[in-house]
Amino acid sequence: MADSSEYCKPGEFKPIDLLAAAAAREVCDGDVVFAGTGLPMLAITLAQKEQAPNAVCIYEAGSIDGRPLDIPTSVGDARCAYQASKASGLFEAFYGQLHAGYVDLGFLGGAEIDKYGNVNCTVIGDYNHPKKRFTGSGGNSDICSYAKRTVFIMVQEKRRFKEHVDYVTSPGWRVKKWPSGEWASKQEVYGSYFKGGVSTVITDMAVFRFDETGEMYLDTVHPGFTVQDVVDNVGFKLNVSRVSGETLPPTKKQVDLLYNKIDPEGIFLP
Amino acid sequence: MSKPKKITLKEAGALVHDGDQITFSGFTIWRRPVALCYELIRQGKKDLHLFEVQGGYHSDLLVGAGCVKIWEGAWMGQEMLGKIGENLARKQIAGEVLVDDYSHGHTAGRLMAGALGLPFFPCALAMGTDIFNPEYDQLAHAGLRDGKHRNIPAQKYVMAKDPFFGRSDCVLLPAVNPDVALVYAPIVGDEGTVRVLSQSYNDAEVIKASKKVVVICEEIVPDSYLRSDPTANLASGYEIDYIVECPWAAHPTGSQFYYDSDATFLKDYNRNVRSQEAFDKFAKEWIFGVDSHEEYLEKLGVRHLEELRASQIMGYSTRMKRGKR
Repeated sequence: MADSSEYCKPGEFKPIDLLAAAAAREVCDGDVVFAGTGLPMLAITLAQKEQAPNAVCIYEAGSIDGRPLDIPTSVGDARCAYQASKASGLFEAFYGQLHAGYVDLGFLGGAEIDKYGNVNCTVIGDYNHPKKRFTGSGGNSDICSYAKRTVFIMVQEKRRFKEHVDYVTSPGWRVKKWPSGEWASKQEVYGSYFKGGVSTVITDMAVFRFDETGEMYLDTVHPGFTVQDVVDNVGFKLNVSRVSGETLPPTKKQVDLLYNKIDPEGIFLP
Repeated sequence: MSKPKKITLKEAGALVHDGDQITFSGFTIWRRPVALCYELIRQGKKDLHLFEVQGGYHSDLLVGAGCVKIWEGAWMGQEMLGKIGENLARKQIAGEVLVDDYSHGHTAGRLMAGALGLPFFPCALAMGTDIFNPEYDQLAHAGLRDGKHRNIPAQKYVMAKDPFFGRSDCVLLPAVNPDVALVYAPIVGDEGTVRVLSQSYNDAEVIKASKKVVVICEEIVPDSYLRSDPTANLASGYEIDYIVECPWAAHPTGSQFYYDSDATFLKDYNRNVRSQEAFDKFAKEWIFGVDSHEEYLEKLGVRHLEELRASQIMGYSTRMKRGKR
């Protein structure tokens, strides 16, 4: 039998497996992670079973450091609270943990993003007369405001990677200072409350990071895609001067864990 | 300070008046007072102002049925069982419901200020986002921040200097004190002590912040049983005004250690209410087409309910089929 630490070859994994593996690699051992529903749950669980056994997960409905036996479909799920150190509520999650500064890493999704990492998950079109409505912020803007690092997992499409997003739900590195609306750096707006911000964007095509000025650059391209493919699917001028190579595929062990241990019921993974 | 009064579902519905600001217990698809929301729809409530930390099936229903004029909250959907609240999305786009967005931290903070009897809550969350864009203040656009509406603050927020330590600016968010809290709890004592069996969400603040509190529960038990483990309780009886005993009252949302959220029902709902006609058809079948909550349960069927029943050890159903593999 092949060594399970071996990387999968093309055809031996699905795009979603790579997404989960790439996201899991962002977790450091010991991180306090604040994760949303869906793919973030797979990623944090995968990380805990591999390189980050001491990572702690907080879900916004109030479970802290749960050890679910079955993957939850809601962050309010009874499954999240199994073996938790604490079953609390949103006030504890958002203020006692996040505002208090315990959270190292946030795992989030979004519909649109701009080059500074401002994310929209509220509306498409003019907010006063929207064309399409999404879920709204939920914990997205809070987690992105206060986690030391935030990873966004998104779908790669030109119309989603925009010069300006239609509505800023979650703050990137350059934001507007309300109520006046002048542009300022996130550090300036948050001042002594500043903890960090969006660090990585993982899509079905590539991994992006942010430079010293807070602008997005392309880091790695997933197997099967070229730099040009990515550039063609971004709606602003993308910095490709720092590309470091190809995104590592998932290992055979990671795929085995995902399908047989983490989501054996096939809730997220087909 | 008296014991809460035991009433029927119909009587509980009648406690909500047109134009009231109401709020709910629970989180997305867990512990929502759904049977009571069905009753509000049957009674034809109008112009409700919902303030929710975040919405779900229960409030999307009220919106779909035309009971809601204003929705203030942070999020609306059914999580993995339906990404957005279809009715709220449709009615916001059509201009039929005023939507005012906050973040989860904001709504939780506003409710906590209300619960503690404070005028506002300070925080430094979601600064630099369009939540604070004055051009997007829907309640101001509608002329509702004129001080004449008892549940609408004169300003959405205020950016304030720290007068004590000179730290950076933060946000002051107005307290919220809804007219009525509709709360679902699995267990209530006969003197009104409330217990929930897992994460507490914002349930305690919802109870404390609201002027009138109705709790709908699976079962009423002797208070002495709940008082033998006071650390496990959420609220005291004198904070509660009315109790309704109504098994499966949270369906299709879940109740930890009683039943799981009904994945099939919620997914079908979200798929099937993407137009007003489709919602009306759903309402005709599941809300107006049954004469009582008991009839609703009979329509769901014993076999289906048994699949949802939670394991007494795990707190959720271990028999329900959730995935495709």
